Amino acid sequence: MALPNQLATTPARTFAVTVLAWIAAVGFALPLLWMLAGSFRTGTDIFANLYPLSWKLFFPSEMTFDNYATLVGGEFGLSVVNSIFVTAATVLVGLLICAMAAFALSILRFRGAAFVFALVVLSFLVPFDAIAVPLANLFRAWNLDNSYVGLILPGLANGFAIFVLRQFFMNIPFELAEAARVDGLGWWGIFWRIYLPLSKPALIGAGFTLFLFQWGAYLWPLMIGTDPSKVLGPIALANLAGQFEVDFGAIFAGAFLLTLVPLVLLLIFQRQFTESLASTGTKG
Amino acid sequence: MTLIGSNPRVAAAEQAPARAATRRRSPGQWRAAALFLLPALVLLVALRLLPTAEAVAQSFQRGTQSFTGGRFAGLENYTLLFTDPTFQNVLWVTAVFLVIIVPLQIACALFLAVLLVERFPGVGIVRTLVFIPVAAPAAVATVIWGVAYQPQGPINAVLAAVGLPEQPFLTSADQALLCIIVLLSWIGVGYWTLFLIAGLQDIPRELYEAAALDGAGWWRTLWSVTLPNLRRPLAFVVVANTVSSVLVFVPIQILTQGGPAGSTRLIMYDLYNSSFVLGDLNIGQTEVVILLVFLIAITAVQFRMLSKEK
Repeated sequence: MALPNQLATTPARTFAVTVLAWIAAVGFALPLLWMLAGSFRTGTDIFANLYPLSWKLFFPSEMTFDNYATLVGGEFGLSVVNSIFVTAATVLVGLLICAMAAFALSILRFRGAAFVFALVVLSFLVPFDAIAVPLANLFRAWNLDNSYVGLILPGLANGFAIFVLRQFFMNIPFELAEAARVDGLGWWGIFWRIYLPLSKPALIGAGFTLFLFQWGAYLWPLMIGTDPSKVLGPIALANLAGQFEVDFGAIFAGAFLLTLVPLVLLLIFQRQFTESLASTGTKG
Repeated sequence: MTLIGSNPRVAAAEQAPARAATRRRSPGQWRAAALFLLPALVLLVALRLLPTAEAVAQSFQRGTQSFTGGRFAGLENYTLLFTDPTFQNVLWVTAVFLVIIVPLQIACALFLAVLLVERFPGVGIVRTLVFIPVAAPAAVATVIWGVAYQPQGPINAVLAAVGLPEQPFLTSADQALLCIIVLLSWIGVGYWTLFLIAGLQDIPRELYEAAALDGAGWWRTLWSVTLPNLRRPLAFVVVANTVSSVLVFVPIQILTQGGPAGSTRLIMYDLYNSSFVLGDLNIGQTEVVILLVFLIAITAVQFRMLSKEK
């Protein structure tokens, strides 16, 4: 029996739903496809095929890898290396810190646990960008500007990641920890050898959150990573776009490089990430 | 993020270890907890509480130079800001921006979510495609759309192809903010859709079976069954969207610098500008405090809405 909330109940309606959904999907994908095609074109060729409009807009007639070659040697190449290093360090150290906090807040029993949890959650409820400007002043006073440490620190503790991990830890049967205690395992051993290995989906979801935050960060590196040796990818990309003579081919190639890494990770880990999002949005 | 758990499964899981722990509470757990929490708490104090305290303190001072100096000035900064026509314009532009972008994105996300819970050929691919822009960093989306909005760019080419007049887009005070909204919606709508899809899938099937027995049609079911049961995820998405929208900075900084004629001067860009371009740290910090008050108010409303339901 078809339920009254379903749209695709007859072949004709299924067809309509399919067409609508695919139009939306193509609409979201087109700008990326245009970017990908443009990255293999020469700068002047990007504005070809527009008047009159032609389907060739999305398929370069002559492929060139010059744009990528230009980027690798310049400031942009270094910025991508910086971004990869900073983001990798953020995800690894950040996951450890967030998982430790989540473990204490879900498994360990101590007086004031509810208060600490509320404090952690409420503090991280204030979005980072809102206090980024005063924090940048502090970091300059502490001489942390233009250092990797200064770029990495703000991405390490993430209330969302702590929350996702805590939810997951609470659903692991506590008997496992109890049995391990009886066998003489310390809390660190329980955390490291029982909880972390059992929590791969939550760790991937939380790690992806940390990754997206740091990889896409713009305001913070704009204020803290101003030295040419510490520039991150998004800033270098904006610098390309702000030059006097804009090289559109290079911009598209740079934009594609910066999208490629999250895109690949997203396609691999989409399920874990969407599940961790869903667990906060609806169960919250 | 909404973080107070009301999920019965979680609540049960919370009680189980609690019972076990009351049987044998030991001082060792307190020490272990302190060690496990230490890094996060240090970061919390250094990265959230200290800058907030500094912003509040310096909003009541004048003449602060790179964190020192400054004399107590009472509400001088606040008076200066609120009587300044430029800042009044910033508040106005930010309000208009929020009033357009939040309902627009939620409506699009709801439409897509309703569509994407249906079964049709390629639904998995469509969901992935809609979600993909989320992965692109804001700077990437900004730069790409910036090229697309060029006077001789592809959007004007499409307009020309269907016989419409070409538009100035980012160089027009009437269109720039709308262009920014379109760009941001391209990034954001897929993300919010995910939450709503999860919410739709959580609605018990029995409710729809009951609606079918009552002979309810599709619209009637949407209005009386789907939307009321989607209240929580919808409330979450509205609040989270408002919070992220009020913090928009990247496209303004890269594409318009608040212009033309102040038409895209959102508060994040303005406070960045006050602090680092104009070099008036105290005014910048005052704007941070105003922003924080707004964010805390929104979050408080969210908590009230959610706690009322229990």
